[in-house]
Amino acid sequence: MSLSCIIVEDLQVAANYLNNCCEKSGQVEVKGHFSNVTDALSFLNSNTVDLIFLDVEMPGANGFELLDQIAFSPKVILTTAKSEYAYNAFQYNVSDYLMKPFTYQRFLEALGKIQPSKETISTNSATDHIYIKADGKLIRLNNDSILYIESMGDYVKFVTVDNKKYITHNTIKNLEEKVSKEHFLKVHRSYIVNLHKIDDMRENFLFIKGNEIPVSKANKADVFRRLNIV
Amino acid sequence: MNNLKTANAFVFNPEFDVNYLNSLYGDDYNYLQEVFNTVMHDYQSLTDNIEYNFSSGNLNALRSAVHKIKPVFGFVGLTAVQQLCQDFEQICSTASSPDQLAGDFESLKNKISQSKILIEEEKKKLELFNSNCS
Repeated sequence: MSLSCIIVEDLQVAANYLNNCCEKSGQVEVKGHFSNVTDALSFLNSNTVDLIFLDVEMPGANGFELLDQIAFSPKVILTTAKSEYAYNAFQYNVSDYLMKPFTYQRFLEALGKIQPSKETISTNSATDHIYIKADGKLIRLNNDSILYIESMGDYVKFVTVDNKKYITHNTIKNLEEKVSKEHFLKVHRSYIVNLHKIDDMRENFLFIKGNEIPVSKANKADVFRRLNIV
Repeated sequence: MNNLKTANAFVFNPEFDVNYLNSLYGDDYNYLQEVFNTVMHDYQSLTDNIEYNFSSGNLNALRSAVHKIKPVFGFVGLTAVQQLCQDFEQICSTASSPDQLAGDFESLKNKISQSKILIEEEKKKLELFNSNCS
């Protein structure tokens, strides 16, 4: 496995140590080190990476604000361990936390969690349905029956028009490529919505049958393009 | 494999947690020297930030500044100071004014100053040790 990554960390000794761990592993190629979100964003506007090692507390914008503003979905390993970030980490599909300083062994364990998503969905984007693996069986979901899809760490939740919720092992990134482009659009790192089910949009939120779905800055332009605004 | 506890190897000041350093760096004293160099390079700005935020009475920024320097002590094996920073972060979270944590801040500040001297001394010892080994 060869992963490309960037390190977003303002503590030099920690960044150097992490860089050293990456080199030593032979599994991760470091494309850059940035000590603030602005510089990292500037790089990510024209480059993609598989993985971001991300500090949360940095001068200026924090690490989660970076994730809000990038248009793709890399894997993320946080280099902090503050429990108050646990909820955000869950929302942002963070793969692991590394508490600084961490041992090389612990670093390798975190890398071990960066695995390709399991194929738990069968679909053809030209058809009107998908199959998901849930509750020990393959379940057919018609595109028109899905309201939205929400990330839950290594899992996703499909919410349907009859208010059923199906949880399956998958990622928003993987689904984005597999679901019907005509019906679905990723509007946030953690959400794909069915465009045909949107009731209204207020500021940075879409509303679908009473559910409030955040729209990230990076995806807002796409949303406007697809809403058929007259 | 040699490690940082080996009798013939580098002898640390007892304030440093040798087992912890060993878990991070094994027997790589050259890399350890780099770590100490980097830490000393950044030390003043990190501590200035703490002092500034205490003086300005911004408890959240003070907590954040202490949080930032905390792992530095881990990287150089001063695990007790790292824990002291952790404790102070907790105090910052619950205090409502700088006066409430003045005593704790003074203790932390002294410990951070003493640590700078310890790290500087250990850095020099490591430089000497590595140059003799090469």
